[in-house]
Amino acid sequence: MKPLNLIALLLFLGGVVWTFTRSDRAVREIQDYYFASMAPFLKSGSAMETQARKFLDETRHSKELEVELDTTRKELGKLQIIESRFRGLEAENETLRHALNFKKATHFVVVPAQVIRRHPTTWWQTVDIDAGEDKGIGTQLAVLSNDGLVGKIDRPDKGRSSVILLTDEKCQVSARVEGSPEVGILSGQRGHFVGNPLLRLKFLSTEASLHQGQRVFTTGRGGIFQPNILLGTVESVEKGALDSEALVRPSVNFADLGTVFVVLSADPNRP
Amino acid sequence: MIRYSFITILLLLASFVVQQFLPAFTGLHDSRILLVQLVFLCSAVTVGQPTMLLLAFIGGFLWDAHCVLGPHGGEASVYSQQVESIRFGYSTLLFAAMGFLMQGIQPLFKQGKWHFSAFLSGVAIFLYLSAEYAIINFVRGDFVLSKSTVLQMAFTSLLTMLFSPFVFWLLFHIASVCDHSINPEAGRKNRRLA
Repeated sequence: MKPLNLIALLLFLGGVVWTFTRSDRAVREIQDYYFASMAPFLKSGSAMETQARKFLDETRHSKELEVELDTTRKELGKLQIIESRFRGLEAENETLRHALNFKKATHFVVVPAQVIRRHPTTWWQTVDIDAGEDKGIGTQLAVLSNDGLVGKIDRPDKGRSSVILLTDEKCQVSARVEGSPEVGILSGQRGHFVGNPLLRLKFLSTEASLHQGQRVFTTGRGGIFQPNILLGTVESVEKGALDSEALVRPSVNFADLGTVFVVLSADPNRP
Repeated sequence: MIRYSFITILLLLASFVVQQFLPAFTGLHDSRILLVQLVFLCSAVTVGQPTMLLLAFIGGFLWDAHCVLGPHGGEASVYSQQVESIRFGYSTLLFAAMGFLMQGIQPLFKQGKWHFSAFLSGVAIFLYLSAEYAIINFVRGDFVLSKSTVLQMAFTSLLTMLFSPFVFWLLFHIASVCDHSINPEAGRKNRRLA
């Protein structure tokens, strides 16, 4: 080996050792510098992606839209009937709440944001949103949509943040199954990302008697997610020797994320 | 030579910018064009080992800054079995390994047979993704390999490989502007024939 090549190799290995020994905090600082220098390009990149997506949405096949319209009309009729019943139940519920002096449902202080970029990395299920540190967003904050939990903030920057989705293996949520004492940890599955992948609810008891369609909510334990946020519904249960696992269909359609809400905190004015 | 090496570094940095504009193809199992890796692999075959290692370090370092996820967070008592992250810096080693692989067929490239290098860049991308996925499985445990993951890797390699002639064309152009020959044997052969 030529001396110059050997020196280059040794310097390279020294550099590798240096990078491997960086702390999490130092890595975050490096990432901050990187994304700060990339910010102008990221902004234009996101704008292009949003425009391309809008264009594709608009040029969807007209027949598909006709069928969708027909289905929507039928659904609307059904929902109008349900709504009239719901209004009655709501009034009754309100009266009962006052009568029994129940606490009002938890309300959150949220920041609305738009998804501007999908899957910027190869292996992780992440999206970028157009709200960042300037709007009070920090790390590990829950991100919701109208349908339930979307994920949590991984890295906030100026004017944008990266959200790790619930479908990623690394986004773990302490979850409970409605109508049962079962509590477990819900997360995405490795290698499952196409369409709307199922989630896996681990560490359930061996006697877990769950059935399809049971809803899964956050427990509020663990210090990241607020309680009673809808996660999905049980699809099936796999019993093991030491514990059981359930496959959960997420309540959020991850293939069609638009507006999301970052939960800054539970509203202190609403006990 | 120095001017050419310096421009390849700039080209690698520029590829990070262009990469931001390349979204994942959701219809093709979330596959994507890995332009950063492609520029590195194509450059690696045209430069000496020290420059290749420098490019590998810069490329791997910035790629990790782009991709690495933060710590899990939350209470350890609840999230007792946290999902491990791969360490910052692993990409520098993968980039270097792929760079050495590309340099293995440098003699063929120097003879003007750049097509082999173009094909090998696709193979190297596939190996790179496989190694990356294997590392993820190793640190997290439970080897899981779904059909869609294999297809994602295959489509990503194929799509990226299709862009390699363009990157080689760009490198040849840069070399001629810098008055530097990246395949001298082919140049000599052409002169003899003329």
